[in-house]
Amino acid sequence: MNESWADAGPAVAAHAVTKTYGNGVRAVRGVDLEVPSGEIRAVVGENGAGKSTLMKMFYGLEQPSSGEILIGGRPRVLRGPGSAIALGVGMVHQNLMLVPSFTVAQNVVLGVEPGQRGLVDSRAAVETTALLAEESGLAVDPKARVDEVSVGMRQRTEILKALHRRARVLILDEPTAVLTPQETEDLFAAVRRLRDGGMTVLFISHKLREVREISDKVSVMRAGSLVGTVATADATERSLAAMMVGRDLSLDVDRAPARPAEVTLRVRDLAYDAPTGQSLHGLGFDVAAGEIVGVAGIEGHGQSELAEVLAGLRRPTTGTVSVGGTDTAGLDVAGHRRAGIGYVPEDRLYNGAALDESIADNLVVDRHDRPPLARRGVLHPGAVRTHAERLIEEYAIRTPDPSVPVRALSGGNMQKVIVARELSAGPRLLIASQVTRGVDVGAMRFMYERLVAARDAGAAVLLISADLTELLALSDRLLVLKDGRLVGRFDDTAGLTEKRVGLYMLGVEHHDQEQLTAGLDDVEPDDVESDGVGPDGSGEASAV
Amino acid sequence: MTTTPMTLIESEDRREYRVTRRRDLAVDLSMTLATILAALAIGFLVMLVTGNDPVKAYEAMLTGPLDRSFRVGRWLEDATTLTLLGLSVAIPFRARQISLGAESQVYAGALAAAAVAVFLPLPPVAAVLVPLFAAATAGAGMGFVPGAMKARLGANEIVATLMLNAIVVRVYDYLVNGPLKEPGSSAVHSRSIQQDSALTPLSDWFGIPLGRANIGLFLMLLTAIALWLLITRTPLGYRIRMTGSNPDFAEYGGIRVPRAIEWSFVIGGAVAGLAGAHLVQGVYGRLEPGLAGSLAFEGIVVALLARNNPLVVVVAGLFYSYLRAGGDIMEQQTDVGTEIVVVIQAVIVLLVTAQALPDLLKRRIARRQAGVR
Repeated sequence: MNESWADAGPAVAAHAVTKTYGNGVRAVRGVDLEVPSGEIRAVVGENGAGKSTLMKMFYGLEQPSSGEILIGGRPRVLRGPGSAIALGVGMVHQNLMLVPSFTVAQNVVLGVEPGQRGLVDSRAAVETTALLAEESGLAVDPKARVDEVSVGMRQRTEILKALHRRARVLILDEPTAVLTPQETEDLFAAVRRLRDGGMTVLFISHKLREVREISDKVSVMRAGSLVGTVATADATERSLAAMMVGRDLSLDVDRAPARPAEVTLRVRDLAYDAPTGQSLHGLGFDVAAGEIVGVAGIEGHGQSELAEVLAGLRRPTTGTVSVGGTDTAGLDVAGHRRAGIGYVPEDRLYNGAALDESIADNLVVDRHDRPPLARRGVLHPGAVRTHAERLIEEYAIRTPDPSVPVRALSGGNMQKVIVARELSAGPRLLIASQVTRGVDVGAMRFMYERLVAARDAGAAVLLISADLTELLALSDRLLVLKDGRLVGRFDDTAGLTEKRVGLYMLGVEHHDQEQLTAGLDDVEPDDVESDGVGPDGSGEASAV
Repeated sequence: MTTTPMTLIESEDRREYRVTRRRDLAVDLSMTLATILAALAIGFLVMLVTGNDPVKAYEAMLTGPLDRSFRVGRWLEDATTLTLLGLSVAIPFRARQISLGAESQVYAGALAAAAVAVFLPLPPVAAVLVPLFAAATAGAGMGFVPGAMKARLGANEIVATLMLNAIVVRVYDYLVNGPLKEPGSSAVHSRSIQQDSALTPLSDWFGIPLGRANIGLFLMLLTAIALWLLITRTPLGYRIRMTGSNPDFAEYGGIRVPRAIEWSFVIGGAVAGLAGAHLVQGVYGRLEPGLAGSLAFEGIVVALLARNNPLVVVVAGLFYSYLRAGGDIMEQQTDVGTEIVVVIQAVIVLLVTAQALPDLLKRRIARRQAGVR
């Protein structure tokens, strides 16, 4: 393995590489990029800027239409990931690709198992894995089954797998998207250690703060071309963002104080027994018109279930939910939508869109059977197209035509289609789940502005996100979920830090019942007053 | 950043998108043509190897159906039934339901049409329409059973439709051999339908002998257009399409997915019922054992060839029937059996359903164009 590396020259390089997909989309346009050995190089750009395509070409998943790829200083033709791996290139994908029923060690050695005559020496596998983990500082439990360990450990397993195959170039595609702040710090420490050992790391991310923290140099891509490469020390988040979108762009959210009006979403004693996943227990909270209430929590602690219960995709077991006076607990999805609920689902590929259908068709799923789109049982394609053209314009969806299938859009654009549909319905309550996941800076800013605009127009917004920075930037109030229970409630997010919310997410601290239910209308007001805990979040948290 | 002015790249992309779309259409069409030619070439080779005269055989097969007017009629009559059956499965296929129930539906339709047309005296126009309606209803009912089983009980639609086929075909055989058998006849068939119930033969219209071809042909064309409108121009069609494309998305959007599935089965069943009525009122004029032959399953092939687009199903049905009719003539006039037609059909089906081929070609063209620039 790796025998044919030249001593001098960059570890990986692209020379005048262009990639045109079969559907005519030119994803990468004449890119020249050189990354020397032992460097952490961040590659940033909006969705659809071509950075993923470029990485896929380094990993052999895509072949360039013209130009050449160099690995280890020599031009290479990569027919598939196999030849890239043989040359010492490893890639950790956004969606982790492991065998869930195998142990960590089995996954690490998969394909190059130790042992003889077709037998796998499982002791040696465990030892190898433990040794690799020790050397690289990537802590894993070699004997644990992958489907029983945290996302962070799965990711470390993927990296170890690449190390086991003697990778000299490691491509990390948005590695922090699934991690908690603490896990991210550990990952960065391990990556630095690998770099010091001579590893070349290509780090793809949307989070400019992390890029500044981890990388040595940053290469910025825009619309398929390489805009430039700068030393990280010379760059600011602002200057990088400006390079990415081609104009000055601030990432701060301007947001006037909320002016909450009457309660729109009223949840009391909500419980949900999940057949799989996280159950919900005794949830009670309000969301008023004109405020954004954030829901924080480590992923998988009931946020998805809460969103789906509120959107009508799951039936609550007990409890009441009402939206604008309508009791929605017993209604079907269409009934929820009639009650004025808009929902941006957390996984847009799963149920946010019909990928093979046109943008126009995807924009009308909740309104295809009424005027102006349909009259007397006839759906007017002209009206559907006009409707789509209006939303494409209004929400700056980048597409050549409304008839383009959604699959052809970049992540940010696809999310714009979904947000355009949900917001243009004029929802009374908007449930926005992971609204900026896998979305570029430009689109992220756009989503933020739209959410605040919807709030100011009088919508109640329930914002569910794994990104604490985002939650703190946008939320007027913040709830914290742990194990399907409400454990924290901050009625004032000014001055709240990620660290402090993190303590609640991890269960180190929690608010007591009085504070959690303060001001809810079916709780005795005396209770709250006597304890002297105001609904402003200033009440002391009780340590566990 | 509500409306950014269109950048150079965007307008360039728009132009490129249009070019690509036109090119893809051209590729699709020429691929279809190439597929047919390739299949014929393979048939040619097979005949050569088996010591037959391929030129003579192909002459019979490809020009035969247009040779005499009654042969044209034979082709159109067959195409009408086949296309209706293709349409009947194309609709559930659009909802991504693998319905194999056309057989039970066509026999149920035939029974219902015959029951009315043989036994119920009706005034002239009603005598044609009421049996048609009865057949559509019976077919729809026969579609509803597996549809509801799938949508409400989660039964596998493939198993449900196949089992129902087995049951209905046995019931049909029993009725034709027993209670409905024409008294005093030595051959097994039912009594003939009343004269007024027959679908007018095309021979009467055009004044040339067109065999058993009848106005059912136009009924079929109308049905295809109606289904196309249903799929593209109605909320129900939209729901069926979205359910087929991504049921989770449909559910999320407030579509009642089980209802959409049921409707796709019911509509498909009604169309298959009409095919049964066409056989009874237009082709045979009575119930005969196994009157649908293998058409129910060839309808599935036709729907697949047409990628479930109702208008394309008509073209595919006409083409497929032409091969069937030509094969029969070839068998009569030469030593080559109809097996060769089956070979040709199979090759076409294999090549057309291998959707990867045209995609591969498009990608290659795109790459070459990118390389030139």
